[in-house]
Amino acid sequence: MAVIRDMIPPCELFQPASIGDALNLLDQYGENSWVLAGGLDSFDWFKDRIKRPEAIVDLGGIEELSGIRADGDGLVIGPMTSLTEVATHPDIVGRFGLLAQAAEHVATPQIRNQGTLGGNLAQDTRCWYYRGGWPCYRAGGNICYASAPKAMNAEHCVFGASRCVAINPSDTAPATIALDAQMVVTNSSGETVYDAEDFFIGPGIDIERMTVMEPGDLLTAIRIPGTWAGADFYFEKIRDRQSWDFSLVTVASAMRTSGGTIQDARISVNGVAPYPMRLDEAERAVIGQAPTDDIGVAAGDIAIRRAQPLRHNAYKLPLMKNLVRRAVRAEV
Amino acid sequence: MELWRRAANPWNQEVLIGISFDLMWAALIAGVVFVTGHALWVRSLATANGHGDDAPAPPGLPARILRHTFSARAFHWLMAISMFALLVTAFFPWAGIQFPWVTIHWLAGVLLILTVVYHIIHSTFWQDFWSMWVGRDDVETAKREVKRFFGKEQPEGPKAAKYPLDHKMYHHAIVVVTFAAVATGVLMMFRVDTWFWARNPYILSDAMWGVVYVVHGLSGVALISLVIAHIYFAIRPEKWWITMSMFNGFVNRKEYLEHHDPERWAGDGPQGQLPEQT
Amino acid sequence: MAEKAIGRDIAPPDLRAKITGRARYAEDFRAEGMLFAKLLLSPMPHCRVRRIDASAALAMEGVVDILTADDPLMPEITGVAAEAALTNEPLYEGEPVLAVAAVDETTAADAIEAIRVDFEPLPFVVDPLDSLRPGGPNARLDGNIQWREGQTREIREFKWTDEDFDAAGPDRLPMGEAQVEWNVGEVDDGFADADLVLEETLLHQSLSHHPMEPRSVMAYWQNGKLYLHTSTQSTARTHAGLANRLGMDQSDVVLVTEYCGGGFGSKISGAPINDVAAIMSRKTGRPVMLRINRYEETYIGRARPGFQSFAKMGFRNDGRVTAIDLYIVQDAGSYGSSGDFNTAGTVASLCYQPEHMRFRAVSVYTNTPPRSAQRAPGGAQIVAMLEPIMDKAARELGIDRLDIRRVNAPGHDGWLGPAQGTMSSCFAREALDLGAEVFGWEERTQLSATRRGTKSIGVGIGISPFVGGSRGMDGLLVIRPDGRLYIHQGIGNLGTHSIADTARAACDVLGMEWDDCEVVWGDTSRNLPWSSSQSGSQTTHAHTRSNHAAALDAKAKLQEIAAGALGGSPDSYDCADGRVFQTANPGRGMTFAEAARRAIDMGGRYSGHELPDDLNPMTVASATNLAGEGLMGVARDNYGGDGSIWSWVMGFAQVEVDVETGQIDLTEYTGVTDCGTVLHPRSLAAQIHGGAVQGFGQARSQKWVFDPQWGVAFAKRLYTARPPGILDVPLRMRWAAVDEPDPQTPVGAKGIGEPPIGAGAAAIASAVADALGGQCLCRTPLTTDVVLAALTGTEQPYRPLETHV
Repeated sequence: MAVIRDMIPPCELFQPASIGDALNLLDQYGENSWVLAGGLDSFDWFKDRIKRPEAIVDLGGIEELSGIRADGDGLVIGPMTSLTEVATHPDIVGRFGLLAQAAEHVATPQIRNQGTLGGNLAQDTRCWYYRGGWPCYRAGGNICYASAPKAMNAEHCVFGASRCVAINPSDTAPATIALDAQMVVTNSSGETVYDAEDFFIGPGIDIERMTVMEPGDLLTAIRIPGTWAGADFYFEKIRDRQSWDFSLVTVASAMRTSGGTIQDARISVNGVAPYPMRLDEAERAVIGQAPTDDIGVAAGDIAIRRAQPLRHNAYKLPLMKNLVRRAVRAEV
Repeated sequence: MELWRRAANPWNQEVLIGISFDLMWAALIAGVVFVTGHALWVRSLATANGHGDDAPAPPGLPARILRHTFSARAFHWLMAISMFALLVTAFFPWAGIQFPWVTIHWLAGVLLILTVVYHIIHSTFWQDFWSMWVGRDDVETAKREVKRFFGKEQPEGPKAAKYPLDHKMYHHAIVVVTFAAVATGVLMMFRVDTWFWARNPYILSDAMWGVVYVVHGLSGVALISLVIAHIYFAIRPEKWWITMSMFNGFVNRKEYLEHHDPERWAGDGPQGQLPEQT
Repeated sequence: MAEKAIGRDIAPPDLRAKITGRARYAEDFRAEGMLFAKLLLSPMPHCRVRRIDASAALAMEGVVDILTADDPLMPEITGVAAEAALTNEPLYEGEPVLAVAAVDETTAADAIEAIRVDFEPLPFVVDPLDSLRPGGPNARLDGNIQWREGQTREIREFKWTDEDFDAAGPDRLPMGEAQVEWNVGEVDDGFADADLVLEETLLHQSLSHHPMEPRSVMAYWQNGKLYLHTSTQSTARTHAGLANRLGMDQSDVVLVTEYCGGGFGSKISGAPINDVAAIMSRKTGRPVMLRINRYEETYIGRARPGFQSFAKMGFRNDGRVTAIDLYIVQDAGSYGSSGDFNTAGTVASLCYQPEHMRFRAVSVYTNTPPRSAQRAPGGAQIVAMLEPIMDKAARELGIDRLDIRRVNAPGHDGWLGPAQGTMSSCFAREALDLGAEVFGWEERTQLSATRRGTKSIGVGIGISPFVGGSRGMDGLLVIRPDGRLYIHQGIGNLGTHSIADTARAACDVLGMEWDDCEVVWGDTSRNLPWSSSQSGSQTTHAHTRSNHAAALDAKAKLQEIAAGALGGSPDSYDCADGRVFQTANPGRGMTFAEAARRAIDMGGRYSGHELPDDLNPMTVASATNLAGEGLMGVARDNYGGDGSIWSWVMGFAQVEVDVETGQIDLTEYTGVTDCGTVLHPRSLAAQIHGGAVQGFGQARSQKWVFDPQWGVAFAKRLYTARPPGILDVPLRMRWAAVDEPDPQTPVGAKGIGEPPIGAGAAAIASAVADALGGQCLCRTPLTTDVVLAALTGTEQPYRPLETHV
């Protein structure tokens, strides 16, 4: 059967007005359903006719899924809140600026207007072998083309490979980890709350998914606890062009410093593994230390210690190391 | 039910990529059906079976006869562990129980290969290699067993040497299936990074890989059925004495005389002598 | 007296329609009963169609017809390596194999999905060097290069020897037998004279054009005439090309190409894919729309050929280039015969005026999409490759980097290419000096390799000449009885404003107000003259000339008509403000409207009933149609001239390279041009800046990656191909022009479309090398991975000659 790309086939679109209705639809169609948020990831799949769900469930009409509200000393963000709103909302900019910065680094203004926080967090990988419709492990096949000897893998992972070497491309994901955010996942049997760190999974656990969410699940809230409100944040995304580009490596960190030493720290990176990584060891290495360049270098060295580069992506090691270093040093 | 999984390769050519997940369930069901069927058959239809222990005991027959040496038992259990690890790591994820299974799977595969290699060498040079051979007596026994299955009264066939026919048949089935799994598994090792090589999926064409994956998958699901049957027989009361011998190595004099022909197998002691001359 | 139109900022006549969205591009047209066609693309880089089973597709409701390469209606495309619209032997992944037409596009797409094609894979190659190896694969069944000898052209197998490869090792260009070689002087003598000799292995990768508008096309037939709406750079040339391709008379084809959303050289004279709509429409008897989407465009939309190269340059202590030895292996793609490599040799000779030069090249077919000209074909590559070597030489010789360029830059007496041709004019040194002043070279060069935090500052220069004109085209205009001047333009509306800006020459010759001029373009039924193709930066030069000539013809006729009616000699009359009048007594004259009425009455040459005999048949046909509608000015550009026409842009860039992340921040850019007289300042700025931005992408981010195992392309979305985005453009970009007229052309203007891209690319390459302390990375694009590896001293992600990465 010949291939058509870049043209969405006719499909069934549902626009439920409540979470309950959406969950019913997801249950009804099971694996053949597709949750549509902003569509920036989904439409690429639909256009290329690689994913052909029977029923597309558009969350755009569910009011309870968008908006930002206070929750104790933290915030609850609806997953359908646009990235533009996340990037500009005074509560986020003022107290959790890390997330605002992360959202602001996504793609372009148009995409941020249309794209949602939930969609950005739950997006699929951009491995071009996988997105090209090749029958790789992640697509249910039995091969990873991107790690073959002559493969083009400059943008693939240096950690966490397990047959698949794709990376998680989300800009906001590492920020949620650094902020100790929690993801509320709802399905017809109830609600489960995951720490951001556990929300993202690698191919070792499930090679066809990027997050814990399975068919029938909905991300219904992102909770940002007050823990890191007003902390010192650092976000940097390195890319080949400065707009509409996915990250090569991104770092997001939150730190509390007093008396010239780092009291507590969260450092997360993305673009280096199939999931956003929290760098626990590097965090431990900086806590109790002064935020100097030397400590940054040491933390960076620790961060890349177990990296296993592919043929074309060894550059991610110095890049990741330097980003961790900058995150620590930024506190000077 | 689909038998195979197919996909379009990067050139949009349809290639086999493996067996259908349905076959796992089919194998599981087949195993359970067989076990249930057998249990029912034994309960309702089976005619009396077994030889009496009326054979004359060879002089100096000890109370316990060594059936499986320690090394044989160690092999069996190591193989069992690796086999379980392989099956669990292969099929649990198919069944939806997700965990990082790849490394355990191939390490278990390596263990299985080592035990198989050990077993081949051991059985060739230190054990009676031909004890697993299906001989004329076995054929006679088989004929009678078949007739018995259909409810005909039959005189007993010749008594077994070390292994009764069903053990032999099971063993050979396992040999075929395991060799298939191991041979394809070794090829598939080239698709993971190990300490010795970096993966290279292009050592075979994708059509050949399809065959490799199908054979590996078929042998894998066959093992599901075979292992179910194996466990079932191991826990059947009338087979318990054999099962126990795989733990402690011995069968007692009564079971020995009842099921084995002392002329054909005198235990696994040194030089075929009966051990433990007590 | 009307203000001269030339040199002013005047909004072009198509601007309002474009901004408001009223402009209709090819895919905006609809016709009654129109079908939609979709293409089936080859999934393999090289294969043969064994069997097509379209039965299921044709049985679908709404599916009307199928068109394959075997269809008897398909035109026979002859010529060596000629490219048909559909093929049974695809030479690249994504090449169109067949098309289906259906009542709507969705049905057509579904029908394509229902078609089974049995393809037989054939050997393929994506890296030219692989094809040059002994026993290496050929991109075509009959060979891997196009051999040219005199008029003979044929595909041949061309291989180097194992010794050639062994001698070079893995990371230097093997230099076996060349397909093309020319020498000026004796290059070894030049190196013997040199005080400094530099050698580099250089890689410039191929990259796609990515115009905003894909090459969509809609066609229908009426009474045996083909009406075709398409996206093309040129009008007259595409009209001729299309008629020729389809074996039709030009008068039986009506081409509508009023707007074009960018071409950059990829749509010069139409696209092969136009045949599909034309023939499908003929076959079905219904209008057919073929909308090309972005995915398809990245396959059939053309690309700039890449170079794997070696350069050796000799310098005297004063910086003068004594010798250049250049070897280029060109990736020729699957079709066509891009002459980029030849132009690159010529441009190198022009830029540095070497005392001795040897040029060798081989152009190798690969199973990658077809190449074509892309804005400064060959020129943009070679300046981006060689300019950092000039920097290196300057650094080693301890001379200023501006000076080394001045020392070598040509004057009016400069030479170029193997025939050591001449130029009509050259103000390269003046442009360098002006650029240095506008950019502030003196001060900025002090910042070289200084640090701002973790950022290392670099400044660079890129000099970029390219062909800026041609001669001998036709001009056609009519002054109608409404008193207005109608300037008919056969050039295309590529977006450069040249349809309007070149018409200004006529406006000024006749002394008219621009508001009284009307440009007629974009539809061959509107009687357009023969013109240059809208490529090679020809139109500004060629059509200021042809319109000038036509306007002079009209002016002479006005003078004759006035003299005939009012007495005196024609010479005693002049034109201004819509009147022809006696110079000595401006009150004595007549309006153009009156003159036009008289011209109609007089007939003959005045009304276009008699035409000069040196016109192109297309102009003759158009003029004949227009005859009797007013006073006609029509002429061929017979101004002549010596030497070829070249324009220049000198790019000056300042970058900040973050030494910890490899990020390049382009903070300043200035482009200064020698393009003769400035016609339209705002439009010129758009060319200098816009071209530079494209050059930034070429040098820094744009990719065209293929999987070597499967020969399949990846960068087929804009986000993976990475042309530059707005944040990659510096906040401040400046420009200036020498504004010295070319003495050999009446208006003095030369074309400017091409040089800006090379200037942008070379300037940023030079600036990055400067920020890296003079380290030439000698490859494109300078992506983060490449720069960071250089900065951290770690292994480069790619081998020096590894291409399509």
